[in-house]
Amino acid sequence: MLEARDLVVTADIAEGRAEVLRDISFRLEAGRLMGVVGESGAGKSMIGRLVAGMMPHGFAVTAGSLRFEDEDLVGLPRRRRQAILGKDITFIPQHPQTSLNPVRSIGTLFDEHLKRLGVAGAAARRDRAIAHLEDVHLPDPSGLLRRYPHQLSGGMCQRVLIAMAFAGEPRLIIADEPTTALDVVTQAHIMGVLGEMRARHATAILFITHDLRLAAQICDEIMVMYAGEIVERGPARAVFAEPRHPYTASLELANPTLTGAPRKLLSLPEHMPGLSAYAGLSGCRFAPRCPVADPDCAGHRAALAEVEPGRWVRAAGRCLGADLVGAAATVHAAGGRADAEGDARPLLRVAGLGKTYGGRRGLLGGRRGAVEAVREVGFELRAGEFVGIVGESGSGKTTVARMLMGLETPSAGRIEIEGADVTGPFARNAALRVGAIQMIFQDPQSALNPRRRIGRLVTQPLESGRRPMPWPERLERARALLREAGLPVDVLRRYPSQLSGGQRQRVNIARALSSAPKVLVADEIVSGLDVSVQAQILNLLLRLREESDIALLFISHDLAVVRYLCSRVLVMYRGDVVEAGATEAVFANPRHAYTKTLLAAVPPDDVNVDWNPAGISEV
Amino acid sequence: MGGEILGVVLRRILVAVPLILLVSVLVFVVLRLIPADPVSMAVPPNATRDEIEAVRREMGLHLPIIEQYAIWLGQVVQGDFGRSIAFGQPVLKLIGQSLPATIELAGLAAILATAIGLAGGLVMFRLRGGPGEGPADLASILIMSVPEFLWALFLILLFGVAFNLLPFAGRLGPGESAPAITGFLLLDCILSGRFATLANALEHMILPALALALGTAPLIMRVLRSSLLEVIHEDYIVMARLRGVPERRVITRHAFKNAFLPTLTLMGVQFGFLFGGTLLVEVIYSYPGLGNMMVEAVRNTDLPIIQGAALIYALAVMSINLAVDLAYILLNPKLRAAG
Amino acid sequence: MSARPIGGPAPAHWPRPLRSARVLVGGGIVLSVLLGAIFAPLLAPYDPNAQDLLNTLVPPVWMEGGNPDFILGTDNLGQDTLSRLIYGARVAMIVAVLAAFGAMLLGTALALVAGYFGGAVDWLISRAVDLWMSFPPVVLSLILIVGFGVGLSNVILAIVLVDWTRFCRVVRSEVLIVRRHDYIDAARLAGFGHLRTLLREVLPAVLPLVITLLSLEMAIALIVEAILSFVGMSVESTIPAWGVMIADARTYMYQTVWGLVLPILAIVVTVIGFNLLGDGLRRTLDPKLLQRETVAA
Repeated sequence: MLEARDLVVTADIAEGRAEVLRDISFRLEAGRLMGVVGESGAGKSMIGRLVAGMMPHGFAVTAGSLRFEDEDLVGLPRRRRQAILGKDITFIPQHPQTSLNPVRSIGTLFDEHLKRLGVAGAAARRDRAIAHLEDVHLPDPSGLLRRYPHQLSGGMCQRVLIAMAFAGEPRLIIADEPTTALDVVTQAHIMGVLGEMRARHATAILFITHDLRLAAQICDEIMVMYAGEIVERGPARAVFAEPRHPYTASLELANPTLTGAPRKLLSLPEHMPGLSAYAGLSGCRFAPRCPVADPDCAGHRAALAEVEPGRWVRAAGRCLGADLVGAAATVHAAGGRADAEGDARPLLRVAGLGKTYGGRRGLLGGRRGAVEAVREVGFELRAGEFVGIVGESGSGKTTVARMLMGLETPSAGRIEIEGADVTGPFARNAALRVGAIQMIFQDPQSALNPRRRIGRLVTQPLESGRRPMPWPERLERARALLREAGLPVDVLRRYPSQLSGGQRQRVNIARALSSAPKVLVADEIVSGLDVSVQAQILNLLLRLREESDIALLFISHDLAVVRYLCSRVLVMYRGDVVEAGATEAVFANPRHAYTKTLLAAVPPDDVNVDWNPAGISEV
Repeated sequence: MGGEILGVVLRRILVAVPLILLVSVLVFVVLRLIPADPVSMAVPPNATRDEIEAVRREMGLHLPIIEQYAIWLGQVVQGDFGRSIAFGQPVLKLIGQSLPATIELAGLAAILATAIGLAGGLVMFRLRGGPGEGPADLASILIMSVPEFLWALFLILLFGVAFNLLPFAGRLGPGESAPAITGFLLLDCILSGRFATLANALEHMILPALALALGTAPLIMRVLRSSLLEVIHEDYIVMARLRGVPERRVITRHAFKNAFLPTLTLMGVQFGFLFGGTLLVEVIYSYPGLGNMMVEAVRNTDLPIIQGAALIYALAVMSINLAVDLAYILLNPKLRAAG
Repeated sequence: MSARPIGGPAPAHWPRPLRSARVLVGGGIVLSVLLGAIFAPLLAPYDPNAQDLLNTLVPPVWMEGGNPDFILGTDNLGQDTLSRLIYGARVAMIVAVLAAFGAMLLGTALALVAGYFGGAVDWLISRAVDLWMSFPPVVLSLILIVGFGVGLSNVILAIVLVDWTRFCRVVRSEVLIVRRHDYIDAARLAGFGHLRTLLREVLPAVLPLVITLLSLEMAIALIVEAILSFVGMSVESTIPAWGVMIADARTYMYQTVWGLVLPILAIVVTVIGFNLLGDGLRRTLDPKLLQRETVAA
């Protein structure tokens, strides 16, 4: 059906020519679901772009072929490709809401698509559209046709796109991270819908994702990519249960688990090489980071070999099937001091916190149209404690963080830091706050002023106040902070745009530490990061706790990450705390329906456990 | 949906009322600052002190400024804009005679500007990435750098003097006339079936309208082009291509409408400027419109006309803005639901 | 752990604008006119108001009937066109520079305040901008001149009072975008007060836009002055100005068309200079545009 043979894609970059994709060979049979797993920059999306004929400027296929049935997609004439796209080969995109034209109704879009597929007659098209929308379990399909994308949720938009993708009975669907931008529960639901549709239409699907566990659960076969190469390929469950390539193994070990014995995450140093580094890597591209590498590896490149029927691995000799579990075996008690060791006073105490937005004063004194973003939230935080808040978007968790930092004023409730009441806007208690509680923002791109050098950014909190620290002292402090955060000192003189995502996040953390606060508030700080980089950051936080007993309020939608870091957890849903308690207890025995749904929506760690996402209804 | 639109219209009109009031206050106050004395315009040179005083009282200039404003406002609401000092006629009548001409001119210019602007924008967009992009861009900057009144003069020099193709004074040639049914010359010609006169009137209007259009169109072109450039990178455009939609349709059916919205916003602002541009263009072409009258009034310090005309200009710009806002709401579904 | 930073360009720095052809050409034109204005007494062959009634309406030296004493000819009062053009540049540049700076200062200050604080302050300032923009700028400046009286400082004041709205509206949108970035909140959390955050974090982010607008505003101010002097409502009649030259020459258009063409060219070339400069600055100082042009689709 779809067969790649020795595919090579080269790009012209400043440093010369780089082989963006190298030695890519695989076979996707009709009706099978193959997962392409890799971190960002591994080249997994490039295959999709190749099929679509949308290669970036300067990128070209220089060897090999990619055959769809009998035709080679490389060098296909534009007309022919246009005839195939949307009909025989369709796509499901990563960002559903922006992938639909905002000024056209769903009905108009569907009508245009069906017309292209050759359905004659407006009435017939309308009926077909309604039928397709019903297939993906969208409520009120005829009403939906009149609606616009901004009126639909992300999950609903994605279902519309899935319906359109399957409408023409395609033979191949390329799904490029279709659930990455969605909430965990929505993701499970979408996976259910996708599974149903696939069973019904027997379409081959190429499923691109960074989530190894998800791919292992739903795919027939998976292909793991690293730095433009396939490092391992084989039946999904087998690859996951017994990875043979060191990278696949480290990827698994870098992923926090929701069940099973807690173990320290394996964090590889640095990050996957970018295009500009490819030229300098003549041998194994994973060697610089590989835990079992030896000096030979840098000069030697293994070929993708079939070590067992159906199992292909790009490894030879020692590294084949190397046991990395030993390296990560240090059992670590998650969350550290879960029991308050006689520390009488909590650093942070929150009671009855609430926030209501908008609304107009009604005639009779009530408020109409008001939105209660947060209701009755309360908890305590002591030195060295890591507490997590989990919830999906709209649960109010970010609002809680902003209120704690004084960026929003609570409508109700009380916030105390070391016994002092700091409820209210930041400015009111600025001096006290700066030294006591700091925030690590989610998006390092937006959180670092692009015009400032790192050296000045990292010590920003020390510049303000009545007695700002003089520059030479700040420079020293900056060096110390960067060391603490695990960054090389020469980063001082650089600008944020010259750092990677993981490095920027470390700078963020370093800045938050600069005023030596006792409490950190971290709002989704690892969401956008690759798994291996995420592991680095999480281990950094654990190390900071060991060294300085810092307390952390960790907000996330990722349950496994929260389990790894936090001893206690609060589960939020639509502004309320629906469940709270010790992390292990809550996750092992959830009481509230929402917590149960959340836990069920996460793909299980054990591949032998059957996961049925279709049973989960969208919340 | 009709009910929503009506609601929006009413709400905008409601918001406009205090705005108009404030505008009138602004005009009134500024004009009271003038160093020249309006009274001296209205009396013969050898008037006595008593006679001057009498005229002053008659004009109400002895009252505190707030009272003067209140009186004036009261009169305006009843349709009495005062009497021109220079012409001696009611201001409203004078405005009524000259406004239709300006509206016609501005309307024709707006149509020309839109046509040239949108077509030019699409062409500039088509040329992107190719050798024609740079020259087209420079050309648009050059055209944009010539203000309307200079285009007016330039067009006279070219088509009027050098090539003697088109007339450039007045509204109609000598000997031509049309019955004043609506006051709108073009409409009157059509209604009374005088097509030769219609042609003559259009001949007279083409140069000033073109001058005005050339002052506005380049900016429309550039904004449309940059909007299209931005939109073309959006996810939904990529998705449309992935569904096999041919490129031409991608641009006309998907990209254009989205790119048109910010262009529309700009067009609203520009048309307001265009209406103001009629001021000078009318002077240059001796075209008997509101602008011509206003400039005369300024030279004569004819206060009532200045006030009246200024108010009309403000009303015109506000109406244009309202119309554009409504069009925007109609085209942008995101705003419709929210009202 | 020796992480190597990923390659990426440092943010816009000063050398880059100088490499743009538009900036150089536009800047060159503007600079020439500016120098001409400053050194007018040295450059102009005659006193611009010196009348020579024996030599009226002389065409430029390259036309038939031209006189090498008057290179660009004379007007209907025998005043030398070249000298009047050079001295006219003074009025043009003084108005362009001062009025543009004034509009920039007023407009940007209000835009920063409105965009950063939001709420009632934003509402008030936006309503004021709406009010002002209800008038076509030409009409409003005319009314203001009628109110203030003629004179150079009044012209500058009138233009500032009319055009600050242009700055305010555009800069405010940009401030709103910048405001949404987390680093603004981060600065506040680092202990900086509102004023310092505004000046240290927000202002530098909008500065490229402001500089671009400044150049374009100078073009607009120049044109408005030309319009005002065309209708005789700008500077006193003893001071030469390009708009006045155009108005005078219009009456004698059939006798010598050059008297009309030359001041028109002067205005057009100077405005082109400002517009090119502004466009060039916009391209070099806008990082988004730069990114798009290097990473092709």
